[in-house]
Amino acid sequence: MSIQLVDESLFASTDPVALQGSACASCNAHVFPAQGSCPMCAGVDVSNVALPTEGTVWSWTTQNFAPKAPFRTDEFHPFSIGYVDLGSVIVEGWLLNKTEWVIGEPVRLALAKAWTNDDGTVVHTYGFEAIG
Amino acid sequence: MSGANIDNEVYIVGGGMTEFGRFDGEDQELAEQAMREALADCNVTWADVDFAVGGTNGETKPDNMVARMGLTGLPFITVKNGCATGGVALMTARNGLIAEGRDVAVVVGYDNHARGAFAASPARYGIGGWYGETGMMVTTSYFALKIKRYLHEHGIDERTLGYVSEKAFDYGSAHPLAWRRKPVSVDEAIDSDMINAPLTRFMFCSPDAGAVALVLARGKRAFELCESPIRLAAVELRGRRPGSFEVFSPWLSTGERTSPSIDSAKAAFATAGITPDQVQVAQLQDTDSGAEIIHLGETGLCANGEQGAGYLKGDYKIDGRLPVNTDGGCLANGEPVGASGLRQVHEVMRQLQGRALGQQVPNNPRIGFTHVYGAPGISACTVLVKEGANS
Repeated sequence: MSIQLVDESLFASTDPVALQGSACASCNAHVFPAQGSCPMCAGVDVSNVALPTEGTVWSWTTQNFAPKAPFRTDEFHPFSIGYVDLGSVIVEGWLLNKTEWVIGEPVRLALAKAWTNDDGTVVHTYGFEAIG
Repeated sequence: MSGANIDNEVYIVGGGMTEFGRFDGEDQELAEQAMREALADCNVTWADVDFAVGGTNGETKPDNMVARMGLTGLPFITVKNGCATGGVALMTARNGLIAEGRDVAVVVGYDNHARGAFAASPARYGIGGWYGETGMMVTTSYFALKIKRYLHEHGIDERTLGYVSEKAFDYGSAHPLAWRRKPVSVDEAIDSDMINAPLTRFMFCSPDAGAVALVLARGKRAFELCESPIRLAAVELRGRRPGSFEVFSPWLSTGERTSPSIDSAKAAFATAGITPDQVQVAQLQDTDSGAEIIHLGETGLCANGEQGAGYLKGDYKIDGRLPVNTDGGCLANGEPVGASGLRQVHEVMRQLQGRALGQQVPNNPRIGFTHVYGAPGISACTVLVKEGANS
């Protein structure tokens, strides 16, 4: 059974979940989402890689108001977003299950429910949850 | 003036500015008002103007201002560079005067944004639809993420954000053209509704309406038109390099942090032959309270981390070491994108000439600085010198 995703190209796999980035053969820069050229050195010899799934909170904030369209949700509750340092790249995403964070806090990648389609299908995105 | 040829120097000789705020009318009405005021400020007629540059983030065409001002046949260039539009317009006018040997230019910037006008679409920025659908395409959360990290890295207390807001609304309340003219205390700013932690309702600027125009003149002509011309000692524009932290970024690199503001400020000081510690009045892009704190450090006007103690001591107030955003900045004036950068220059021009519309910086300041910054990672800085400062 396949899981409905906000955008399949963001994921290297869903079980276990991993984000898909790209790595540059010339300068080793990692970027997310994957792209066909390297914005750091302008190289074009890049390939897709699964990014590390654990890291630390690099910065965080709360989203206390419902963003305008195209934001989609079944029912709005304030949530957290942050940048997570995965070692090779810092990735922006949801921070799950709480709204108070500490910079440096360890987190791991997880799937999270984004919204429900009209036909009842649940659409998932990625987020990071506190470890332990 | 370090022996430079005066024919290659450009001066600001006049300025005009509308009230900022909500406006129920056409944006070019505002532009016309500002242009006529600027011309009257230095007794120049539209027919005397031989070059013009206009900027807006809206849909109207600045070069069509000739339909209102007069069909004199002058070349009129339009620029559109987001929050940096004012700085780019000024740079274009300066370069045009020097390169083409013209004498008098008008620069105008204007906008009339509706409430909530800053919503952005992922596609326009080359990002997938998922980014907006999951609620990350939000400018205010970017500001929050950026200042949260900056305060952490440099050990600055989050309460400093409240001091920035208090200062802005204090100076806005004293300025006859500002939009927000009601004082807000440090505690009120900190305790008001949270928008994106740590930023509250009183820590953001909003889109609004306004127009600013400046008259520039080259060489000796400036001294015929104005008793106290302000020399445009530098205007420098820079774009982002790898390592900068810009709005709408699903990822950041892990290496050294760079910023177009660091680069444009450094270039402006180098061109002007002036060091940051010589600046006596400054305008910094303060789309949120955090941005003013970050930009103080990035432009070199203070050391990173010094801001916490600096705001407590009143360093950036009107009678402090370095008065910043003396008209209330974007926080109190809102941000009509096309006009905002020229508002900064207009305010510094008046401060240096000793005719501030709001609170006047004491002790005859002679060296000023302005800074704009915006998406997708561009910044323009100017150094402004009241003539006689270096002689």
